[in-house]
Amino acid sequence: MVHISLWYLPLLVLLPLTVLAIIAVWLRRVAHRQSIAEEEPDWSVPALGDEEGGISPLHRWDVRCKIVTILGFSFVIASLGHLGPALTAVGISLIVSVISKVSLARVLFRLLALTGFLGMLVVVMPFTVPTHSGDTLVIFGNTDWLCLNLRGLLLSATISARAVAIALLMEPLFSTAPLPVTLHGLCRLGVPEMASQSVLLSYRYVHVFRHEARRMSAGMQVRGFRKRTDIQTLRTVAYFLGMLFVRSFERTERVFEAMRARGYRGRFPEPVELRMRTMDILMASVWLVAAAVLITYDRILF
Amino acid sequence: MHISDGVLPVSVTIGGYIAGAALAAWSARRTESEELPKVAVVTAAFFVASLIHIPLGPTSAHLLMPGLAGALLGPVAFLAISLGLLLQTLLFQFGGLTALGANALMMGLPAVACGWIFQKFKGKTQVGHAIAGGVTGASGTAMAAIFLALLLATGGEDFFGVAKVALLAHVPVIIVEGVVSAFTIGFLFRVKPALLESSFVRHQKTVND
Repeated sequence: MVHISLWYLPLLVLLPLTVLAIIAVWLRRVAHRQSIAEEEPDWSVPALGDEEGGISPLHRWDVRCKIVTILGFSFVIASLGHLGPALTAVGISLIVSVISKVSLARVLFRLLALTGFLGMLVVVMPFTVPTHSGDTLVIFGNTDWLCLNLRGLLLSATISARAVAIALLMEPLFSTAPLPVTLHGLCRLGVPEMASQSVLLSYRYVHVFRHEARRMSAGMQVRGFRKRTDIQTLRTVAYFLGMLFVRSFERTERVFEAMRARGYRGRFPEPVELRMRTMDILMASVWLVAAAVLITYDRILF
Repeated sequence: MHISDGVLPVSVTIGGYIAGAALAAWSARRTESEELPKVAVVTAAFFVASLIHIPLGPTSAHLLMPGLAGALLGPVAFLAISLGLLLQTLLFQFGGLTALGANALMMGLPAVACGWIFQKFKGKTQVGHAIAGGVTGASGTAMAAIFLALLLATGGEDFFGVAKVALLAHVPVIIVEGVVSAFTIGFLFRVKPALLESSFVRHQKTVND
């Protein structure tokens, strides 16, 4: 148990939190501005994964092998129980990201998306974790109600490290092959073809409807609509949603009829022919060794 | 709010995957397999709608809409929501790949329940529809929040505090969601009542044939 006087509280807890929050908000704003600037010209051609075949080993890796290995590795990371191994996993994921030459902006964007949930954990857990014997408590001044449990802090840090390590693997997993190829790989692994087709279609139309929504909200702003915290805003947003649904459901019908007219009978042609080589198996075994090392580190060395 | 990677125990995430896959398969069988492209496109619409932020005092909240999805899609809502969550992970890293099954259960089960409630109690007037819509909208989010708290609590007593805070944080969202859903359903009742029939996808099929 550590007693420190109350005036340390702003210094040790509030100040770092505020700084982190300000950085997160600022980065989010920058990312938002960039995403708008980038997306506006070619909204209809979303690129998740580059088409040019790429140059890194992960681009050349067989997509089936890649999915199974990275998904399995993610579950191994999720099962780590200590901070050290989890941080090692973050290191491995960083190395993989560098090797696969993914775009830094998109990796940052993904990490920013985590800040909301993980921020809540980091703020709440140190103060709410039940006290066990052997825990280090930091008590500020003479307050009873404000007592920071270092075990909670450690736990939330471990969770954050696991989440970051897995999130860092997502860009190497999804953006090192075009989305249709990744989904084709999933089908060959036994996922129903319908599921992968649906993902492909939704992915395409998310961008179409986002464009539509942006157009509608531009129209609303031109007519003087500003978002506020009142019932009028809620009503307007509700009508906006209703209109979005009406328009998109009608478009759904047109899309489906157009597909039928072009001979759609529940199948798309295969995008590529997949072939497994020795290199693919070798890559998978390297990952397997890494996973085994992480588990050993986590379970035996602690 | 979606659960991130690395938060839940691995057994819970794997169990969530298995249960989620079974329910998605059940949900897919409720519609003609040839009509699944429609579900995909409708999912995209809900996805975009869930990106809209509503100001709440100094902060803002985005809608979760399990209630509306259930009311408009019926049992197919589970499939649509799983699909939407997969897309969110793919595109924005909301939620996470390992927690996908658990997140799908958390949002999808309330949606299916809400769809049933809405069809049962919507009545025939616009006011009746709007009230039923508001109730399903609010209760859908409330159920999802309770589910979230329960899932977090599977992590052991260390997570109880976080579960409580997460539950409390959803209270304003539940209210906003209820009001917006009521207005949206009322609007749809006037503009395109066909969308509010038992299941849009099935209904349209009978019209086409």
